[in-house]
Amino acid sequence: MTTLDRRAVLGLGGTLAAGVLLAPGVSLLAAPGERTEASASRRWAMLIDINRCTPDCSACLTACRKENNVPLFGEPDRDIHWIRKVELRDKDQRRPTVSLPVLCNHCEHPPCVHVCPTGASFVRKDGIVLVDEHRCIGCRYCMIACPYKARSLVYHETRRSPESNPNVPIRSKGVVEKCTFCVHRLDNGLQPACVEACNSVGGGAMLFGDLNDPHSEIAKRVRTVTSQTIRADLGLKPRVHYQGL
Amino acid sequence: MVSYPSLFHRSFFRVLPLLMGLVLAIPQPASAGDVPQQGGSGRSSGHPAHNGPADHPPLEVPEGRECVQPAEWMRRNHMDFLKHNRDMAVREGVRVKDDSLKNCSTCHKSREKFCDRCHAYVAVAPNCFECHDYPK
Repeated sequence: MTTLDRRAVLGLGGTLAAGVLLAPGVSLLAAPGERTEASASRRWAMLIDINRCTPDCSACLTACRKENNVPLFGEPDRDIHWIRKVELRDKDQRRPTVSLPVLCNHCEHPPCVHVCPTGASFVRKDGIVLVDEHRCIGCRYCMIACPYKARSLVYHETRRSPESNPNVPIRSKGVVEKCTFCVHRLDNGLQPACVEACNSVGGGAMLFGDLNDPHSEIAKRVRTVTSQTIRADLGLKPRVHYQGL
Repeated sequence: MVSYPSLFHRSFFRVLPLLMGLVLAIPQPASAGDVPQQGGSGRSSGHPAHNGPADHPPLEVPEGRECVQPAEWMRRNHMDFLKHNRDMAVREGVRVKDDSLKNCSTCHKSREKFCDRCHAYVAVAPNCFECHDYPK
């Protein structure tokens, strides 16, 4: 018959407690599961070559509407545009008229996020500015704050149609929506719908990628060509760059 | 001091409680006995329902054998589970394949015959599917 002294009993109790503490970690290690997460090491950006963007092409606009179920109500004041074509005309007609697609610039310092009273607008870890429509109350402060007019309010009820993309929800009446850089596609390793359409149907003006990856095509191009952002004077550090503006 | 074989003193007695603690505290995976048994058949067949009052409408029996969590737990907590996953997906970009709504529809084929029937019975109106598509 063996007996344990006080020291041994305390030691055994302590080890038992340690086992209980460690157990959850062990079970986490045992079942990892398939899981992806937005990474702060990425910095998504877009580069648009104006010289390749022709005024009569609207491949990006069509692709965006189709991919993201963006409705068209037929009312110019209230129609929703995640991406639109803007014509730049020189008053003195010394420079040719250019047409450029304008979308949410996913600013590094987004004024829309600063004014949002409910925390619905936010910046994701990888720098994408998003609206959490579950929290949006439709106050439209963000629409006023955005210098690019990239946001739209959903003025009317929309319905799903058989042609709707099942991977993207429609938005209910009274929330603000905007370009998401096709976040659902990015998370699955795909390019945004507009970029894909531009490179297949359009003139190949759009380039999308991770600026933090020095070997990515966009990082190389931004380093080598002259590009600018719209309203750089505001200091918002937009992530949509234009070449040849 | 008492004396007992150094083998027990050194390794065995130190490791045994650690293992016991691990075995006690690691959550057990759902066993075959936890397979969801929908209480719907209770009313028509005259047997008491498994998961609620006797007049609960019949729910479609899921096709799979095992849920991502035990069925009892899911009955009580699926709303918090889904809402938490929703916030994590929207705001942190966390997408877990198994916990995705797409995975629900692999077993629960019909939203109308499973989710909606119970929601109507307990008079709750989650508005997820006003915007989102229940995966087919």
